Amino acid sequence: MSSVPASAFLALALILFCIGLYGALTKRNTVIVLISIELMLNAVNINLVTFSKYGLNPSITGQVFTLFAMAVGAAEAAVGLAILMSVYRNKKTVHIDEMDEMKN
Amino acid sequence: MENAWLIPLFPLVSFVILLLIGKQLKERSAYVGILATFVSLVFSIVVLFQRFFEPTYSAKFNWLTIGDLHITAGFEVNQLNALMLFIVSLVSFLVHTYSKGYMHGDERFSVFYVYLGLFTFAMLGLVISPNLLQTYIFWELVGLGSFLLIGFYFYKEEAKAAAKKAFIMTRIGDVGLFIGMILLFWQTKSFEYSEIFKAVNAGQVSGTMITLTAILIFVGAVGKSGQFPLHSWLPDAMEGPTPVSALIHAATMVAAGVYLVAALFPLFLASKTALLTIAIIGAFTAIFAASIGLVQTDIKRVLAYSTVSQLGYMMFALGSAGYVAGVFHLMTHAFFKALLFLAAGSVIHAVGGNQDIEKMGGLWKKLKLTGPLFLIGTLAISGVPLLSGFFSKDEILAAAWEGGHPILFLLALIAAFFTAFYMFRLFFLVFTGEFRGKDEKHVHESPGSMTFPMIVLGVLAIVGGYVNTPWFGSYLGDWLVQGNAKLGSGHAEGPVWIQLAATLFSLGGSFFAWLIYGKRSVSRDWLSGKGGILHTILLNKYYIDEFYQMTIVAISKGISYLFRFIDVFLVEGLVKLVTSIIQGLGKLGAKLQSGQVQTYGAVAFLGLAVLVVIFALTGGYLR
Amino acid sequence: MTFSGEFFASMVLALVAIIGGVLLLNLNKVVHMVVALIFTFVSIAGIYILLSAEFVAAVQVLIYSGAVTIIMLFGIMLTKPYDESEEPTGKWRKIILAIGIVGFAFAVYLGIYNFDIPQVQTVLHENNTMQIGKAIYSKFIIPFEFVSVLLLVALIGAIVLAKREDKEGEKE
Repeated sequence: MSSVPASAFLALALILFCIGLYGALTKRNTVIVLISIELMLNAVNINLVTFSKYGLNPSITGQVFTLFAMAVGAAEAAVGLAILMSVYRNKKTVHIDEMDEMKN
Repeated sequence: MENAWLIPLFPLVSFVILLLIGKQLKERSAYVGILATFVSLVFSIVVLFQRFFEPTYSAKFNWLTIGDLHITAGFEVNQLNALMLFIVSLVSFLVHTYSKGYMHGDERFSVFYVYLGLFTFAMLGLVISPNLLQTYIFWELVGLGSFLLIGFYFYKEEAKAAAKKAFIMTRIGDVGLFIGMILLFWQTKSFEYSEIFKAVNAGQVSGTMITLTAILIFVGAVGKSGQFPLHSWLPDAMEGPTPVSALIHAATMVAAGVYLVAALFPLFLASKTALLTIAIIGAFTAIFAASIGLVQTDIKRVLAYSTVSQLGYMMFALGSAGYVAGVFHLMTHAFFKALLFLAAGSVIHAVGGNQDIEKMGGLWKKLKLTGPLFLIGTLAISGVPLLSGFFSKDEILAAAWEGGHPILFLLALIAAFFTAFYMFRLFFLVFTGEFRGKDEKHVHESPGSMTFPMIVLGVLAIVGGYVNTPWFGSYLGDWLVQGNAKLGSGHAEGPVWIQLAATLFSLGGSFFAWLIYGKRSVSRDWLSGKGGILHTILLNKYYIDEFYQMTIVAISKGISYLFRFIDVFLVEGLVKLVTSIIQGLGKLGAKLQSGQVQTYGAVAFLGLAVLVVIFALTGGYLR
Repeated sequence: MTFSGEFFASMVLALVAIIGGVLLLNLNKVVHMVVALIFTFVSIAGIYILLSAEFVAAVQVLIYSGAVTIIMLFGIMLTKPYDESEEPTGKWRKIILAIGIVGFAFAVYLGIYNFDIPQVQTVLHENNTMQIGKAIYSKFIIPFEFVSVLLLVALIGAIVLAKREDKEGEKE
């Protein structure tokens, strides 16, 4: 039994998620945008782990899912950075507002 | 006869072939056109002969089915159609042949044959149509062919204006025809001639409606056949090449109006008012146009007014219930007027493009072939006995007398006098006396391809009338009305004095012309001097064009300006408003499509946020 | 609510995580931002321990605090990022976004506020790693294999994407 209520962890996850979201939507540097996205993933992971402990049917599944999410997140970070490298080589910029290829 | 539908297809094939490879064929295009029309002519003759011994053949298939209405298409070979097929394909073939010489050296030689092919197809299609709708389609197609051919020399301003004028004025008539057609369809539920006649005879259509539709359809005929008051396009149409004038504006297309009235004759017979209208307009046109023809100096214009006048004659005949007389005159007129036009073309060709008869003269010695042929045409149209025009004109006058319009009869008689006068005036001015133009040595006879058609037509102009004479039997008339008692008797038997009077008037006119222009015993200025004002009025064609210019054209121009004003400032303003709003939206959208991933993400998230907030505030999991 | 050590620890860890996040948003240099984020990641690992997920906590430290951060640092190093501070991104957009996020957070917070989920005795903290291993190799064996494929694909993809294309161009 824990003395800390589940809502405390959920609130923390919410705050981190919002910080990550804000960073992802406002930062110019693509690296920071990627990191912000990782932060959002982490916030989600906190939720998963919280619910693996709390509730009527606590189960290890939530933690396993967290591990999968981490694996996917790591892969995403690697591929994202590789794409960034490729774009950087072609456009000589890491600023996300200058990557407007979708416009043309 | 089952294959009569093939006849219009040959010119169509020629049209398509020349359209595709005419540029390569150049002057050889003529052979394609000539061959196609010749085949049509052979078929037409076969069909005509078959029709002598067999009953009417008609075939049709369902074209459109709208509910219970079946709109059909097909063809029909009755007497009138067979005769028209023959006339049209004959004149068309001759004109095709003639044009080979006349248009020689023209840059757009093959284009000319393309147009001719289109026109011939449309005209042949028109005369075998069994229903009004099909007739209307081909009717417009011949209008198109006429428009293209009048405007053939499109680099000339006059030709352009004439083509436009012809198109618009005939269109005015066509509107009448169209309305009449729709009214008939509304009343009888069918476009087919036979159905319409059946309905009319059965009394399904009220008398007023018959009169209305008949007159509306007659309006279409007025436009096409150049009857008063829509006549003024026809003389202007002489800006086209002369063979075209012969084919379209003398023998075939302008006769289409007469043909239409003849084809729908049972409808007109059912309405006394409509018949009287036709008779009055026809007779008036006859004398009206003839009087203008008296003073014109352009060889083709004189012939054009003569055409208008003769078409008036035909209408007058039909209006006097002289079905046979009208059709008969249509046939003989096709022969001798085509002959006259071709001969005139030959004359123009000889003197190097000049059309002013004041600058001609003494051509009889130079043009050994054209001269006599022109004389034959002149004699025929003037109604000198023993030539084709005499018989048909006599037939008309007899019909008029029987029809009981003494005043109109008198008018027609005077018109006959005028006709003889202006035709012989033309003849004497062109062929006798001294040459008044320059370059006398240059004058030469036309090549064989031009003289051959004239000879054929010359022969026909002489003997064409003997198919229906008071002396040797009225074969044509009997045949035309065979199996259709409604059309009246085959031959109008008038008193002998009518024949004598007609002969007297035509000979009188000729003699008078000879006095002035041939023998010159009466000064040429006698007429113009005596009736100075009259002369001027005639020379200016009764100021009809000016009158139209000042009234109808001015009014419609005023209305157009008003509408233009509305269009520019009101409609266009509204349209601009709409377009600018849409454009603004588009620009906004384009701006939103910045390609900025972050912006897209931000917008998407804001949308989600708004939804979530609304959801949280209005209900959802809180309740 | 008792003021226990667990509560205190969780509060401190949460505070550190949030401070790391806020620093991420407000620092000027990119490298500093990434370093600030390490604090967040490590504190999240602590939170995992509090939630009786020791193995996940270890993985968190390894993957995020270690691998991902290092990758990001490499990325920053290779892309020479200057002028981070001057962000021409519209001020208005930031404000509107902030309002939107606050609204969103508020809406979600309404949901989790006083969210009292019943608690039962768990055995998650006993032999946590063994439990995870058992679950992965029995119940989740197929997803686990897929994850290995995914990582392989990501590996190859990253190499292909980041490979210099200039050399190929020179060869042609």
